[in-house]
Amino acid sequence: MPAENERRQRLLQLAAGAVFLAIVAVAVLIVVSSGGSGGDTNLEEKAEVNRLLSGIPQKGLVLGDPKAPVELVEFGDLQCPVCKGYSEEILPPIIEGKVKRGQVKIDFRNFTIIGPQSVPAGAAAIAAGEQGRGWNYVELFYRNQGAEDSGYADDAFLKAIAEGAGVKNIARWEKERQKLTPEVEKTTAEARRLSFSGTPSFAVKGPHSNGLEPLGTPGSTGAMEEAIEKAS
Amino acid sequence: MSRPTSFPSEWTLQRLIAFVAALGVGVATYIAIADSGGGAPVCIAGGSGCQTVADSSYSHLLGVNVAVFGIVGYLLLLASAFLVGDAARFGGFVVALGGFGFSVYLTYIEVFKIEAICQWCVASAVLMTILFLLSATRLIGYAGAEGELAADAG
Repeated sequence: MPAENERRQRLLQLAAGAVFLAIVAVAVLIVVSSGGSGGDTNLEEKAEVNRLLSGIPQKGLVLGDPKAPVELVEFGDLQCPVCKGYSEEILPPIIEGKVKRGQVKIDFRNFTIIGPQSVPAGAAAIAAGEQGRGWNYVELFYRNQGAEDSGYADDAFLKAIAEGAGVKNIARWEKERQKLTPEVEKTTAEARRLSFSGTPSFAVKGPHSNGLEPLGTPGSTGAMEEAIEKAS
Repeated sequence: MSRPTSFPSEWTLQRLIAFVAALGVGVATYIAIADSGGGAPVCIAGGSGCQTVADSSYSHLLGVNVAVFGIVGYLLLLASAFLVGDAARFGGFVVALGGFGFSVYLTYIEVFKIEAICQWCVASAVLMTILFLLSATRLIGYAGAEGELAADAG
């Protein structure tokens, strides 16, 4: 059956070619995705951020049950090293305790004082919040922060943080973040109205607080929890 | 390139492909439905790996959940299992090869980029690997043969 053998030979040659092409395609995909341009290869502590925030509702830049009786507001600058320290040490016990239990929600508001890159960084966080990944963005940014106002927070860095934070529609995020500078300016003005001058500054609002009460910068988790208790 | 003699019949391979592809449709559909509700597949052994993978930007391609591409691939493989002739053998092989290659890429992303493992994605990758092996066996064993003769063989 020479015709059958010929057809068989041709098909198997085609299959071998397809296997070769598939190997090349997968290798190219892996090389491209491991490249540094806008990728998130080098992001630190992504798994830790995911673990910390797992199962906690987020809306915009508010973390926690929307019906939580107490609201803790953080006025922060993503480029601020002290804010990074709060994000890594002071706030996690509150997030894992009172926030997870639905007793308090934390609202991150931009208070941009460090440098010009703080504004697009803050707008990028709000845009991530519009896709339900605002707090992942804020936390991941803090944990990958560079030297203060050294110019590291460029477009590629912001995009890498967005990808690492799990923002699903990057094109939409890119488009929206360009329009959100007024939001950043608005919360910065609000912080100044509350007489804050440094970051992070906190305020609390609850059934027993006098509206949005400025707390300043409580120096420990315990001091923060005490203020939350008082407002509850 | 003659045909090996100890091959299972093509009909047996077709039935196996249909069975595994149907399982794949189920797994991929579950992942897609869980994601469309804004959630994630439930990791049976616990942990937050499925949530982490579903939340990552890699779970979508061009705005479409990658599980949807999986459903399409498994359905094409299911169709190839019910068809006879070289077009079905070669078409099935190419789809399974593409699916297998994509699974290798996604597994790399899970391990090295997202740093989390989703059991449902692993299950899909295993099913696609089996389908690739079955489709390759079908093509190597029966390429060039008439459909009816191959169905009677073995």
